[in-house]
Amino acid sequence: MEIKDRAVDGVTVISLMGSIDAMSAPKVTDFIHEQVGKGNTKLVADLSGVDYTSSAGLRVMLGAIKETRSQGGDLRLTGIQPDVSKVLNLSGFANILKLFDDVDSAVASYS
Amino acid sequence: MGKPRIALVIGSGSVKCAAALGLMKVFEREKINVDMVVGCSGGSIYASLIALGWSVERATDATLKMWTREVTAKRSNRAILQLALPWIFKFDESFGLIDDRLINRRLRDGFEGASFADTKIPLFVTATDLYNGEQTVLSKGLVADAVRASISIPYIFPPHKMNGRFYVDGYQSDPLPIGVAIREGADIIVAMGFESPYQEHVTSLMRYNFQISSVTSNNLLKTNYAFHNLAHHSEIIPILPEFEHPIKLFDTDKLPYVIEEGERATEQQIPFIKSLLA
Amino acid sequence: MSPKKRISLVIGSGGIKCAAAAGLWRVLKSENIEVDSVVGCSGGSMYAALIANHVPEKDMEEWSRKLWTSDIMQGYTESLKASKDGSLRFNERSGLVDDSVMNKKLQDIYGAWEFSDLKMPFKVVATELQTGEKVTLSEGSVFDAIRASLAIPIIFPPWEVDGRLLIDGAASDPLPIDVAIQDGADIIIAMGFPLDYRARFRSMTAVQEQLNSIYINNILTSTYAFYNLAHHAEIFPVIPEFDGPVSMFDVDKIPDVIEQGAEAARKQLPHIKRLLADG
Repeated sequence: MEIKDRAVDGVTVISLMGSIDAMSAPKVTDFIHEQVGKGNTKLVADLSGVDYTSSAGLRVMLGAIKETRSQGGDLRLTGIQPDVSKVLNLSGFANILKLFDDVDSAVASYS
Repeated sequence: MGKPRIALVIGSGSVKCAAALGLMKVFEREKINVDMVVGCSGGSIYASLIALGWSVERATDATLKMWTREVTAKRSNRAILQLALPWIFKFDESFGLIDDRLINRRLRDGFEGASFADTKIPLFVTATDLYNGEQTVLSKGLVADAVRASISIPYIFPPHKMNGRFYVDGYQSDPLPIGVAIREGADIIVAMGFESPYQEHVTSLMRYNFQISSVTSNNLLKTNYAFHNLAHHSEIIPILPEFEHPIKLFDTDKLPYVIEEGERATEQQIPFIKSLLA
Repeated sequence: MSPKKRISLVIGSGGIKCAAAAGLWRVLKSENIEVDSVVGCSGGSMYAALIANHVPEKDMEEWSRKLWTSDIMQGYTESLKASKDGSLRFNERSGLVDDSVMNKKLQDIYGAWEFSDLKMPFKVVATELQTGEKVTLSEGSVFDAIRASLAIPIIFPPWEVDGRLLIDGAASDPLPIDVAIQDGADIIIAMGFPLDYRARFRSMTAVQEQLNSIYINNILTSTYAFYNLAHHAEIFPVIPEFDGPVSMFDVDKIPDVIEQGAEAARKQLPHIKRLLADG
């Protein structure tokens, strides 16, 4: 799992590449935890490089999302691939998260 | 991190949802400000009245004017023909047993042309898309339009056409849409929900249908509630009014009692809510 | 070396599409993936029982062809007529269909089976009509449990088990993953069948079906979403995709349905195997 980040208009865009499962999810959580620690609580996750999420992966992700929200921020998603979209819908995540078609609209949603 | 954002979510429950007015009386007294309101089905009526900032008196008046037995009294002639001869009188998605012109007029008059832009706090009304079964959040345009979509009781009122989509009752996809509040960034979520009543005795096909409808919507209510509790980063506070006698679809004469019971149920949770805000 | 992970199969409600479970079973066997228990709901309970008894795929296919024929709906048209002219008497034990045909078909296959006889732990989920509660059946007559779980409300009469009047498991939980989790499963392979939505409404029945689909799909997602968060088990959803609509009595489509089940299972296989290897 590769993670890159960049700042856009006061929002931190995190690009993930690989599968989010029980093995890689801790790396994602730690990364987000670090961001929150630095005061970056407005996050956008670009999932265009993510081909698969497992149920354990989703659980861990939600933990990270809750952390940003408890600090007044959020984690918004974009670039969701079809297989990942199916799982997000099935797991109810589509109803509790803001999903966007592209990074720009996700970033803009914070203003 | 600033002050926690408080959301009020009012689920489906027809006239019982007026208990939310009792909740607002208590909140106003305690100077607890609600930052957003979400409403589903009957709850959308009260969520809208609250979001518009109308007083309890004005909201009660509006309810009494909008919601009477007459709104479901007139059968739709077209529906009668559609049922009898569906191959001649084209049966389509706009089917509803009741002529909805009266309810449409009452809602327009009752909300006095208000739009979402007129609300004092953000308002979200949920309905269910008839074609893809999904919950749709309505937050733009005329309030009366969104409420009409949210209360489209299946078979009774025709599905409501809005923005090129057809909507049925919000409770079909989620009777208590806490997820909307979570998604919109609420911290403390105050949720007022109602279970559908079970039949004492199933003595006819119609009662059987009502029983099944209650079984399914109550299961959806409970499971979603459980999910939202696990998914939310902060507290969800359920306010569950209890009524000594069943409150039926048009029991608007019981409004004062319903509002009072809403106050009582809210009082019970006030100490905890205040401790969260301290 | 860490203890072997317990694997459970959950076969959810889905009518004739549940035959896809035969394809899933085939794929798991061919990969030597050992299943420790199986749970079924509604139509899924029939296939879960066959899997629990290690029934060969060929037999599953043959029995499917015999079962999903329109004669199981006998009496439906007459009852509908009676309901329209007001002569229909209906109470909580009623159904529009005369269930004697379905009962016989189920008896022919499962009549002699007891839960304790099966080669694998097996559970069935139904719903109590009076309270709406989910009921898990795991003892006694397999026929009784399956018949209860299949009791589609209003269509088939409810079925009494241990003094409780039961209906379709899907009314409370179309894909009962938590039952498998309560049994101590670490890995859950859950085969579910979201219902198709209609694009056109030409009759009241069409509207009723759509509203039913809306309900089932929402409760399916709702329970899946909850169990996903509530438990530590890794859940692999196996959701077969079909080229076109598969109607309740399309027995000719059964071989294709089974293939789609195998295909959906194959898609999850790399992830399942990776998890097992990391054990």
